[in-house]
Amino acid sequence: MKTPSSLEALIAALRVLPGVGPKSAQRMAYHLLQRDKPAALRLAQSLAHAVETLHHCAKCNNFSEEEVCEMCRSARRDSSLLCVVEMPADLLMMEQAQCYQGMYFVLMGRLSPLDGIGARELHLDRLVKRALEQPCEVILATNFTVEGEATAHYIATLLNAQGVKVSRIARGLPVGGELEHVDSGTLAQAVLERREVAG
Amino acid sequence: MQAHKNRLEDEPAFVLHSYPFRETSLLVEVFSRQHGRVPLVARGARRPKSAVRGLLMNFQPLSLSWFGKHEVRTLHSAEWQGGQPLLQGTALLCGFYLNELLLNLMVRDDPHEQLFDYYQHTLQRLAHGADMASTLRCFEKHLLQELGYALLLEHEAGSARPIDAALSYRYIVERGAVREQADTPDGLLVAGKTLLDMATDDYTDAQSARQGKQLMRMLLNHHLGGKLLHTRELIKDLTKL
Repeated sequence: MKTPSSLEALIAALRVLPGVGPKSAQRMAYHLLQRDKPAALRLAQSLAHAVETLHHCAKCNNFSEEEVCEMCRSARRDSSLLCVVEMPADLLMMEQAQCYQGMYFVLMGRLSPLDGIGARELHLDRLVKRALEQPCEVILATNFTVEGEATAHYIATLLNAQGVKVSRIARGLPVGGELEHVDSGTLAQAVLERREVAG
Repeated sequence: MQAHKNRLEDEPAFVLHSYPFRETSLLVEVFSRQHGRVPLVARGARRPKSAVRGLLMNFQPLSLSWFGKHEVRTLHSAEWQGGQPLLQGTALLCGFYLNELLLNLMVRDDPHEQLFDYYQHTLQRLAHGADMASTLRCFEKHLLQELGYALLLEHEAGSARPIDAALSYRYIVERGAVREQADTPDGLLVAGKTLLDMATDDYTDAQSARQGKQLMRMLLNHHLGGKLLHTRELIKDLTKL
């Protein structure tokens, strides 16, 4: 039996999602059409709406419906601190930790030379422009993966050349962590980056 | 026993690169000492509580066990070997460069034990702040040698005549150095001293360092078949700042 072309188009469209292959896409398409047509319509509408109205905030690069997002407009936040994170999920985590009151810049990725993602693909020029808007300390909160470290190093070099003060979040044992259960890499690095305790 | 036939235990290895795979897994390209470059699936490695998450780091000596008879095998367990500080700053970018070279030039399932040892040695040098340019040149030379494209640095191409430090040569890809003459315009112009310095891995002379870099770049570009090295671009951008 030949698949109708509109169904075929739907399956092909669903395959753009990460981790969705031909089988999963087919399963999703059948489910939406057969079991839950209103949800399918809602999905279509909210997708179209989101794509149309969302763009990147001019200041923090996060998704926003307005030119400048609510967080960046807030007068309660400390504009002398600028925290650089990789993804919007990282920003949410920082907010949940309630440890930071400054501004953010979301990179929407990381440098990954082996995947061909360089400084141009990440639009680091926008970050430099943002950091130079007003005097501030830039806190690098990229992941502690090799790619995150490379990104932090690159940004630090870039901003230091412009005379911007840059710091990197610390790493080590997790809060409440016991040496017995921590992984060797973390422990080794924590010993290497130990700091003096004033008596 | 049949079940153990395709199983390998505790292989010394390094992660060259990893890609997200399916919902929670990783596809990891590793460089193992006994089996060369092998692709492994690390099942569930992207789950928050995964035992191997944070372990499968590039540039760290690991001991890996895997099984499977197809091209892509399945990672069974990974153990941290330690003794290698994390690469930082520009040394980290140099590490990416080594990996990009290996991924582009080394075919899968072709063991290169000596190259593995030299890779480990090179990472150690980078981690301990050795001069990066000369460290990379030494690695590039060993890499080409191990892959069967050894450089001819002590003798002229097609003859037993030793290279003279005081003369100028033209280095021609896949042939070697020939004496500079009016009718040999192709090939890269290099001093005899550069070739002899490269043979002994000595890059203290500024001219040898510069010409050695040019020569290596020409040869690597030839073997890469026009492929662009992203890390080279990145390091170039960074040194411009």
